[in-house]
Amino acid sequence: MEIDPITVEVIKGALIYAAEEMGIVLRNSAYSPNIKERMDFSCTIFDERRRLAAQAEHIPVHLGSMQLAVQKGLERFKGELEDGDMIILNDPYISGTHLPDITLICPIFYKDEIIAYSANKAHHSDVGGKAPGSMAGDATEIYQEGIIIPPVKFIKNNVIDDEIASIIMSNIRTPEIRMGDLRAQMAANIIGKRRVLEIIEKYGLEIFRKAVEEIMKYSERRMKMEIGKMPVGSWEAEDYLENTGVVDERVKIKVKLTIKKDHLIIDYYGTDKQVNGPVNAVLGVTLSGVYYVLRSMTDPNIPMNDGCYRPVRVIVPEGTVMNPIPPAPVAGGNVETSQRNVDVLLRAFAQVLPDRVCAACQGTMNNVAVGGINPENGRPWTFYETIAGGYGGRKGMDGVDAIHSHMTNTMNTPIEAIEAIYPIRFLKYELREDSGGPGKWRGGVGLERSWMLLSPSATLSILAERTIIPPWGLFNGKPGATGEYYIIKQNGEKIKLSSKCTVKIEKGDIFVVRTPGGGGYGDPLERSPELVHRDVLNGLVSIEAAEKEYGVVVNPEKIEIDWKSTLQLRLKKVQV
Amino acid sequence: MARYRLGIDVGGTFTDIVALNEENGEILNIKISSTPEDPAKAVVEAFHEFLMERGGWEVSRVIHATTVATNALLGQLGLELPRTALIATRGFRDVLEIGRQRRHKLYDLFIQRPRPLIPRNLRFEVDERIGPRGEIIEPLNEDQVKRLGEKLKKENIKSVAVALLFSYINQKHERRIEKILKKLLPRIYISISSDIAPEYREYERTSTAVVNAILMPIVSSYLIKLQRRMRGLGVRAPLCVMQSDGGIALKDVVSKRPISMVESGPAAGVIASAFYGSFLGLGRILSFDMGGTTAKAGAVIEGKPEIVSEYEVAGEVHSGRIVKGSGYPVRYPFIDLAECSAGGGTIAWVDEGKALQVGPISAGATPGPACYGKGGRHPTVTDANLVLGRLNPNYLLGGEMKIYPELSEKAILNEICQKIRLELTEAANGIIKITNSAMSKILRIVSVERGHDPRDFVLICFGGAGPMHGCALAEELNIKKIIVPPNPGLFSAHGLLMTDFKTTLIRAVMKLMDEINVEKIEDVFQKLEFKCARILEKQNISKNDMYFIREMDLRYFGQSYELTVPASKPFTEDNVNQTVESFHEKHMKIYGYAVREEPVELVNVRINGIGFVEKPRFIEKHVNEEKPSSDAIVEKRKVFFEKIDDYIETPVYKREKLKPGNLIEGPAVIEQYDTTTVVYPGWMATVDKFENLVISMKGGAY
Repeated sequence: MEIDPITVEVIKGALIYAAEEMGIVLRNSAYSPNIKERMDFSCTIFDERRRLAAQAEHIPVHLGSMQLAVQKGLERFKGELEDGDMIILNDPYISGTHLPDITLICPIFYKDEIIAYSANKAHHSDVGGKAPGSMAGDATEIYQEGIIIPPVKFIKNNVIDDEIASIIMSNIRTPEIRMGDLRAQMAANIIGKRRVLEIIEKYGLEIFRKAVEEIMKYSERRMKMEIGKMPVGSWEAEDYLENTGVVDERVKIKVKLTIKKDHLIIDYYGTDKQVNGPVNAVLGVTLSGVYYVLRSMTDPNIPMNDGCYRPVRVIVPEGTVMNPIPPAPVAGGNVETSQRNVDVLLRAFAQVLPDRVCAACQGTMNNVAVGGINPENGRPWTFYETIAGGYGGRKGMDGVDAIHSHMTNTMNTPIEAIEAIYPIRFLKYELREDSGGPGKWRGGVGLERSWMLLSPSATLSILAERTIIPPWGLFNGKPGATGEYYIIKQNGEKIKLSSKCTVKIEKGDIFVVRTPGGGGYGDPLERSPELVHRDVLNGLVSIEAAEKEYGVVVNPEKIEIDWKSTLQLRLKKVQV
Repeated sequence: MARYRLGIDVGGTFTDIVALNEENGEILNIKISSTPEDPAKAVVEAFHEFLMERGGWEVSRVIHATTVATNALLGQLGLELPRTALIATRGFRDVLEIGRQRRHKLYDLFIQRPRPLIPRNLRFEVDERIGPRGEIIEPLNEDQVKRLGEKLKKENIKSVAVALLFSYINQKHERRIEKILKKLLPRIYISISSDIAPEYREYERTSTAVVNAILMPIVSSYLIKLQRRMRGLGVRAPLCVMQSDGGIALKDVVSKRPISMVESGPAAGVIASAFYGSFLGLGRILSFDMGGTTAKAGAVIEGKPEIVSEYEVAGEVHSGRIVKGSGYPVRYPFIDLAECSAGGGTIAWVDEGKALQVGPISAGATPGPACYGKGGRHPTVTDANLVLGRLNPNYLLGGEMKIYPELSEKAILNEICQKIRLELTEAANGIIKITNSAMSKILRIVSVERGHDPRDFVLICFGGAGPMHGCALAEELNIKKIIVPPNPGLFSAHGLLMTDFKTTLIRAVMKLMDEINVEKIEDVFQKLEFKCARILEKQNISKNDMYFIREMDLRYFGQSYELTVPASKPFTEDNVNQTVESFHEKHMKIYGYAVREEPVELVNVRINGIGFVEKPRFIEKHVNEEKPSSDAIVEKRKVFFEKIDDYIETPVYKREKLKPGNLIEGPAVIEQYDTTTVVYPGWMATVDKFENLVISMKGGAY
């Protein structure tokens, strides 16, 4: 039977909408803020051969991991699945991210045969382990990071298995909320299932199968065409994590990018061995970085499905920090190593497609968690956030100031909401002067956020990067400023903190975060003096830095460009 | 002497005027081309045309819908933004720029934030700090404010926004700054955040105050100019403006709070649907408006449009929804709408991967669809409809505009058929199917995604292109009944004549329901009500025509988003439990669960003050026999229907010749001045006593 392109297009739209609607149901019926507001989840539809058919645009770090979860997670259930079953799992070595991401997979039956799957993954704010929030910065084994759930039938005949549920709930800190969120995940899969069956009832199973095949071929075709426009060749790049969280040593990530006529090979040969700190990134996270960069370097409107993966071969040696073997801890791989992975990949692409990349963005998510006992009511409190920083400069465009980049995109919590609940008072939330990497196109500036502790004491944890090795610039652009974390005691003493640590703080202490700036793009001496002047007026570049980095002399009284001195200074700098 | 109430709807392409004769209920219409560079010009021209044609008139009220506010923020030429400053708490002037720290496109390495409306060098800070319970941690440094005043003068600032932390609980410092600046700079516009949006969330409140400050000079000068020109024509009636919450307000009220009118136009269509629905006794309505460039959907339940509390002005729309972070947030009640690029002028094209796409680019009014013969080479939705025989092949606009079907065919053959192997008809039908699938999605967004089943709704189709697509959309969503009002092209403008005055006032509370002091809450309600009444009084609304609706925004403690439930008057100890229970129920309905043991937090209390406006009476017509008169059929032509998979000979009726009671079996085409209605096979249309076309599924429930 032939299938016409219009039907393919309509079914494509319906499948993507089914995945989006799953997301709406999940968000609306979930309980925890992580899912509800920060939208830390992904929803998908797979075909009968467990190939990704549609994925809603949710969060980049799940891009590559859903297919692993569905393919590897269902291996042991050959022929054992029945209508009304759902499989749960969170083992990162199977489902591809970290323990807090719980995946739920639902087979879709039509006339006694599995014809598709709906599946989703959501970040739960606690899955047990040594630290509240299950994101310990100093774990040395995965067992310290929380409960590991292998693929099991969590739902049988549309009913949650109480025994499995009780094992899971006995191992985590906030069981009621967890159950609420799992029910929301279940509801999302049911909507996905219903929508797929509606499509099949309308068009018939044969047309549906053919359409799915065509949808994948379409994405594959578009991907190949985009790759076909790139120059052919091989390029290498590397970058480092500054420490492991446990040992103070650099960890190298290395990649070789090979572009062929219609496909790409990305090889991580040369990457360091896995480490005994939580910065190992499981294969799913590594693949997500690859697909994120690929989507960014091609047309992001190409629908995400199995076809997108076909023209890409990814080789990641086992036992490395980018493809560890159990029981390496992995919680930070998802949030920090995933960012560095993107940096390395973009650095490789920068050599081939210099006009299409950005210089390094802040390269961290600045995870900050603080908690203690509230003296007013004796109840424990914890507050967790990730903080924005500078975006890398691009050809023809400065980097964005103070924004989340690459693998994360979660919202901040309003200060007025935080202060109403937690015993902290904010003192500052502002753009950070001189932190953007100088360049013809300046890197975005980072920000400064600081607060004072109002309760007697608290525990503060940081999981971050780029406090030692700055975000790099491109094509003579300078690096952005490194991040800084410190405490100011009431007596004025300033204590510097490392990028991965847990410390005790006390009443009146001021905690200051200064996030990294993005790298600059192009030679700062080629930046138009008017733009430098505008940055000076806006307090983003100091008069001193304007002179030192950009060779632009600004009169400190009138804040006007001194053109004559600028010309002389730039000439002199060029000669040097 | 006839008394008219005038509605003026300024759209991108046309300016519509509708006039209601308040004595006999007759409604008259005028449609002229808009003048985007000076929108008031077209309005005055239309006025002139209308008034000159008839002697002995009097205008009782003018109600205006305009996009001038949004256009200014979108950077339209001729609407330059005034030089505006922001005053913030020391340490927090960048809240406006950092926003929620998200980027609105995930995979675009060349992402840019919407330009901050106030550059950093015009964002100032003062020493002061209020705490989360309204306590003053650091008093306001008034000397600094005075020095700042001098600076603003020197910087030639026209308007100022003031947004301090926690001002929604304690207004004192913002008020004081306002007072000091007004004294120093009597001509400056000032917008303080605790007046404009007294709710928690510093970024959204600041953004709202800033958008308001920027729009104040633009909107007031536009409205003053318009009123002056109206007076020049002898019209002394009060000028009212349609607000985004579906109510109207006098020019002076809107000038102080211009954020209330950013989505003025689209609101009118939903209000018209709501009014029609109530009048016809329909409980649930989906309002569907399809024009030249976009299609818009809204839901109305029991006569009330669905309202959301936030909107992003000048934001980007992606698959029906506004992309968060792409525009400027404004906290103000907005009629909930979903929108997509699907209108008569939307262009169909084949992408690199050989897939047929429709939109988002539109051919606009010039060159317009290929069939207009104005040089357009790209096939549009209108061209596809023409090839399929749904549109009159000779002319549009009742004969005023000649069209060329051969150009439509050529455009589709060249741009679509040559690129993917499709026959002309297949391609044209494909364009329609893809368009319908995008439009059914926006209808799903406002129904399914809000917890409603579209099968329970009646679809009201309007806008120039809406009635052509009604049956297909109804089939897609299993809707059984469609209504096409008498003048679909002017329906939105009609909404202006049916709208009540509305003033909404809100106050943040942020207390657990177990811990509130009910007397205090009652007191807040009464104060807000009093204030609301004063605003309505100033608009010449008599006490008898006013009524007030009390509402509370509640959430489970720890959640970040609220649900609105009604509150009783008076609000006493006895009402607390019942209010909390109605919150649990609503939560259950929308989100599928309720947690009765969780503490519930009262975030805001709100008063909606309504000033009743006399509604037009629809004239009930005599019901005739079922068979339309013989001259109602103007021709028979071949029209393509997918169900039949072929062209079939289809009768074409003239809407003007149809009489109440007439019954038409599908397939049929019904033509009128600016709209064509297509009745699909399996459906039938009747003309009701108010001259609506009511299209129902044969053998359907209705």
